[in-house]
Amino acid sequence: MAATAVTVGRLLRLRAAGAEGHWRRLRGAGLPRGFLQPASADGDAAQRRQVAHFTFQPDPEPLEYGQTQKMNLFQAVTSALDNSLAKDPTAVIFGEDVAFGGVFRCTVGLRDKYGKDRVFNTPLCEQGIVGFGIGIAVTGATAIAEIQFADYIFPAFDQIVNEAAKYRYRSGDLFNCGSLTIRSPWGCVGHGALYHSQSPEAFFAHCPGIKVVIPRSPFQAKGLLLSCIEDKNPCIFFEPKILYRAAVEQVPIEPYNIPLSQAEVIQEGSDVTLVAWGTQVHVVREVASMAHEKLGVSCEVIDLRTIIPWDVDTVCKSVIKTGRLLVSHEAPLTGGFASEISSTVQVE
Amino acid sequence: MAVAAAAARVWGSSRGLGRVGLLLLRRPGARGLARSHPQRQQQHFSSLDDKPQFPGASAEFIDKLEFIQPNVISGIPIYRVMDRQGQIINPSEDPHLPQEKVLKFYKTMTLLNTMDRILYESQRQGRISFYMTNYGEEGTHVGSAAALDSTDLVFGQYREAGVLMYRNYPLELFMAQCYGNVSDLGKGRQMPVHYGCRERHFVTISSPLATQIPQAVGAAYAAKRANANRVIICYFGEGAASEGDAHAGFNFAATLECPIIFFCRNNGYAISTPTSEQYRGDGIAARGPGYGILSIRVDGNDVFAVYNATKEARRRAVAENQPFLIEAMTYRIGHHSTSDDSSAYRSVDEVNYWDKQDHPISRLRHYLQSCGWWDDEQEKAWRKQSRKKVMEAFEQAERKLKPSPSLLFSDVYQEMPTQLRKQQESLARHLQAYGEHYPLDHFEK
Repeated sequence: MAATAVTVGRLLRLRAAGAEGHWRRLRGAGLPRGFLQPASADGDAAQRRQVAHFTFQPDPEPLEYGQTQKMNLFQAVTSALDNSLAKDPTAVIFGEDVAFGGVFRCTVGLRDKYGKDRVFNTPLCEQGIVGFGIGIAVTGATAIAEIQFADYIFPAFDQIVNEAAKYRYRSGDLFNCGSLTIRSPWGCVGHGALYHSQSPEAFFAHCPGIKVVIPRSPFQAKGLLLSCIEDKNPCIFFEPKILYRAAVEQVPIEPYNIPLSQAEVIQEGSDVTLVAWGTQVHVVREVASMAHEKLGVSCEVIDLRTIIPWDVDTVCKSVIKTGRLLVSHEAPLTGGFASEISSTVQVE
Repeated sequence: MAVAAAAARVWGSSRGLGRVGLLLLRRPGARGLARSHPQRQQQHFSSLDDKPQFPGASAEFIDKLEFIQPNVISGIPIYRVMDRQGQIINPSEDPHLPQEKVLKFYKTMTLLNTMDRILYESQRQGRISFYMTNYGEEGTHVGSAAALDSTDLVFGQYREAGVLMYRNYPLELFMAQCYGNVSDLGKGRQMPVHYGCRERHFVTISSPLATQIPQAVGAAYAAKRANANRVIICYFGEGAASEGDAHAGFNFAATLECPIIFFCRNNGYAISTPTSEQYRGDGIAARGPGYGILSIRVDGNDVFAVYNATKEARRRAVAENQPFLIEAMTYRIGHHSTSDDSSAYRSVDEVNYWDKQDHPISRLRHYLQSCGWWDDEQEKAWRKQSRKKVMEAFEQAERKLKPSPSLLFSDVYQEMPTQLRKQQESLARHLQAYGEHYPLDHFEK
């Protein structure tokens, strides 16, 4: 059991190294092409400066939700927000820089469409943004707060953990802030370094009372975000920023829901269960196909989707079948959410 | 602009040098050179007529170097209606409230005082785990509560029980929360004095300080959007006002134009920390203008002053959709809580002064007596009656069971997730096997 896990782990690392020949530029990440002379006239070397450690694999076009449109992840988010504000007259969106469209363009056009009392900037203060959002939700209105980068969510940690998560419980269900959703760009992007790349889901996993959700694709993002907004519990929706532009697929125009706390088996297999979420799902998918090609190993790939409350049953059912588990995440290893998954799987 | 003119004079008017000089002299601020107008660098200015163009402030230039001196010796004056003997000072400020209403003020404050004394004692006797009294601050609660509509939403800190009492929250429910018994609307989950009441629009108290401040602002924003004609009031102490959440709340309320009253109970202490160690400026009221918030300081022990200020703030907050800050000066006569012994950090003489010379209850009593609406006999009768009411509720509360242990797991989420249900079942099995080691008789099944 350990041997296969190690080999698959080795494959993950091989994959990372072997990606050297296929660098692709992350668009919009820097200076316009013509501004600097290329380091060498050789086009191949210039291309090597562009990086992505994975290939986004779009899912097949969903047919059951009506007409679809090609959208990238930020457009899928905009679409979900658009649907929400159209359906729910109490819904408001707020945070730093959301009025002009947001630093990642997730709220483009919404202020013009729905008005400045519904899509508005707040001062630069994350604890204020979340506290304010809780207050809106306490009155029953729908609050969609944006934290500009997940790396900056920590000033709001007290409001999230001590207040939002406990509102219903501590009041004996007299009060709640279930109509609060916090959205935040998450995960590595290549050049983000310490403070534009973090995956803080593990900090929040330790907090009963909130839900934490991470999509792997535009289609998943819209359905999951709509579910978070409609969920009667405060939710944190982390959006993999590297996928904002890089992930493109057909996404339904109309609203639809993808259930929370349900993991998805995106590829069936029999020898080992691979669990991941967000961007890493695409890495792990590639690992699965490499394992199949090079080692003849059949991997079952699971996208966890909701970090808490997480779908223990699906993961355990899979491990019972395969007998082996490998969890992969961008976040630091120690205390990362993989430790919760592996210890629960051991117990069950 | 003045800098540019000086540069032109120093470096001469030759373009090349002048431009370099300007570049050297222009101090790189946060915006740096990016904002500089290429054309202006080549103009020759007469600077005296120029107005500042900065987006960040609407102000005139000054050519004298002067730091603004914060005024803490002669701070924002304290609005009051009655003197310490309960006599109206300026008749035009007398709210001329009807007898019934003023009697309600008095009875609420005294009933609260009685309940405080009995529940404090009960903690000393080990009957409840913890308690916080409101001694000396009853005026801030009742004066403000009376000025609000009954549907105005209240966010409190923990020393505002009088607001709830004014809204007729029954003694039974105060006691139920302190005892954590089955009648507690909060299902026995929190420490005593963490009251909440949806019916009476009083958001459940939480222990972390100042967290309610930005929340109250959000609620006010939603009320504005809903055209609810509702004000939100947010209470906090001068200590909590040091928290980042307070700064956040003030700034959001002002920028987002929210109908909210920030009510600060400045009672001189945050546990043992006196105000001289809490802030160096002129209290909390002086911070309001820094945020663009209309602010006032009132005598918190003068129930009419509190009433008048809150009433006017409410009227304008709703009409104009802007925040108001009221700093009610008062004194915390009691200890911070039953876990505190304030003789460790303040003199008994100081406490006695406030208890005897400047107490909201006695000041109002003098007013009532001078109106002929109260006398010693009624006082005696009311003391007896209120004590009896409290004792009855107290004895009832003590006899009741505690809520079922299964309630440890519900309401964490609206629906109970699988993992919590498993934990609940696990506890049930544990109690089945080892119940004899637990005081299960005190709990509902």
